[in-house]
Amino acid sequence: MAAPTVKVALGWSGLGLGVRRAALRLPGLVQVRWSRYGPEYQDPQTDKEYYRKPLAQLTEEETYERELRKTQVIKAAPATKTCSVFEDPVISKFTNMMMKGGNKILARSLMTQTLEAVKRKQFEKYHAASAEEQATIERNPYTIFHQALKNCEPVIGLVPILKGGHFYQVPVPLADRRRRFLAMKWMITECREKKPRRMLMPEKLSQELLEAFYNRGPVIKRKHDMHKMAEANRALAHYRWW
Amino acid sequence: MLKGMTRLVSRVHKMQKLRIRKLDPGRFLHSGTQAPQCLVAHLDNQVPTESPRAISRTLENDPAKHGEQHVGQHYNISIQELKTVFPHGLPPRFVMQVKTFNEACLMVRKPALELLHYLKNTNFAHPAVRYVLYGEKGTGKTLSLCHIIHFCAKQDWLILHIPDAHLWVKNCRDLLQSTYNKQRFDQPLEASVWLKNFKTANERFLSQIKVQDKYVWNKRESTEKGSPLAEVVEQGIMRVRNATDAVGIVLKELKRQSSLGIFRLLVAVDGVNALWGRTTLKREDKSLIAPEELALIYNLRKMVKNDWQGGAIVLTVSQTGSLFKPRKAYLPQELLGKEGFDTLDPFIPILVSNYNPKEFEACIQYYLENSWLQHEKAHTEEGKKELLFLSNRNPGLLERLCAYL
Repeated sequence: MAAPTVKVALGWSGLGLGVRRAALRLPGLVQVRWSRYGPEYQDPQTDKEYYRKPLAQLTEEETYERELRKTQVIKAAPATKTCSVFEDPVISKFTNMMMKGGNKILARSLMTQTLEAVKRKQFEKYHAASAEEQATIERNPYTIFHQALKNCEPVIGLVPILKGGHFYQVPVPLADRRRRFLAMKWMITECREKKPRRMLMPEKLSQELLEAFYNRGPVIKRKHDMHKMAEANRALAHYRWW
Repeated sequence: MLKGMTRLVSRVHKMQKLRIRKLDPGRFLHSGTQAPQCLVAHLDNQVPTESPRAISRTLENDPAKHGEQHVGQHYNISIQELKTVFPHGLPPRFVMQVKTFNEACLMVRKPALELLHYLKNTNFAHPAVRYVLYGEKGTGKTLSLCHIIHFCAKQDWLILHIPDAHLWVKNCRDLLQSTYNKQRFDQPLEASVWLKNFKTANERFLSQIKVQDKYVWNKRESTEKGSPLAEVVEQGIMRVRNATDAVGIVLKELKRQSSLGIFRLLVAVDGVNALWGRTTLKREDKSLIAPEELALIYNLRKMVKNDWQGGAIVLTVSQTGSLFKPRKAYLPQELLGKEGFDTLDPFIPILVSNYNPKEFEACIQYYLENSWLQHEKAHTEEGKKELLFLSNRNPGLLERLCAYL
């Protein structure tokens, strides 16, 4: 870990501030998203299978790792992270993005109602279909959700770059997390803004997720629009310096 | 042939859970009526599985033949029967489940079996016995009531089913002053809807039962003495203003004539604690209305008294739709209040509790058979343990959990 050596040099060894200089950050800019945990803090291990392995079956590296963890400081697990077998980080992230005003209960209930709605719609289709089509119909709401979000992820994005007093929209490759974020953001915005007044969110969301799963619908269109804009501006690509 | 069967029977009895094996079908083609129930159920699911599982379905679709051996198993009700016997009265989530699975399966449970046993041994010369199903939220009181109603419908009883008495004491848009008694209030919408459903459920009886009084509706319309009850029901459905009075007449006639022996009457009320609670309905001058000032409630209270013979009264107390009752209250004394309890006393209380481990397994098995549990981890032991922990074996909670998994 390079950070401890940096901290020692600057004389901050006593504090637990996790000010890390990532490679992408420009020098001179202060990081605003930071955690109270220093780099020596390890993430908590919530996997029950990890602890259930009998000690005799561990390899040398695993025994070494276990012994090492006994000496390390570990962060507190957030309330949303559970050892439940049904936990899904993508679903949790989506629920957090849907949440308004800290009302996690409402966001979670909307999410579960959406999954139920997706399931019921697919079951209806399944029972109405013939035997050959039944094999192609996907009834698992989680696979539909993941596939739909994957289909909505843009491959390339646009970033405003200031050059010669004007802002130019420059096509730029996006990091994985930015792509996932954009897919979820577009899905939620679409469902909030374009839904009829009396339609409830779970119904609209389930509709949009199913459409995105089959690669059609407004969110996929927005992704394609983004790609077309990037294609149109490809002459500006050399404005990017990273 | 018989020797082979007895050997097989003793083997089946030896195992704790009925192991489902592939059997030679030829052996059982000529099996006599002595084949025990467990063997019949054993034959139903000729699906080879690696580990012993609780059987979740039974082919015995007649509630009259349900016994101890069917506890935990689901039996099927055909969609046609569902439409005639239950035009109203099924819980909304169950209706959604029926629509999704394209089949209606009810689980046979101990409280319903107990009630069935009592109903089979009722003495119709004695006054009607009152049975009260009580239990915590989501334990299955309404579905047990539906099981009983299905049994009575199959046995050709006349079913008087009020799906939710709480709906009659709240959220009523149009309250009219009753034409019959100036002190009371009419609820035309609720009464007409109920009459329509009552007609669907009991078509065949309405032409047989004759009215024993003359009823004058207004200057031009009246029902003569001796005309079939169907006319009164038609009048109530067509003239919505007289619907509440039509309901009152139907209740009065049925109560009077049930002791004659032409038919057997089952009075099934879900949420009977609404009859003695408080209402949220107000008069024009914003003063609260007591339940007895509503004509529907007034007539229903008379029905629930045990001063008639020739049938049974099965009731449910529930907190779910109730007004001004704490969420944790589930005992009859707490929900009925002093007045209600004194009126219903004596009654037979039947507790409906959460699933026992066998029923829980059977429920999970039923969901797996219908591919309702789509999450990969739900099929594993870990997933089942987690479902058990999260739902505490409460049927309602389990259904809601499995809906999104």
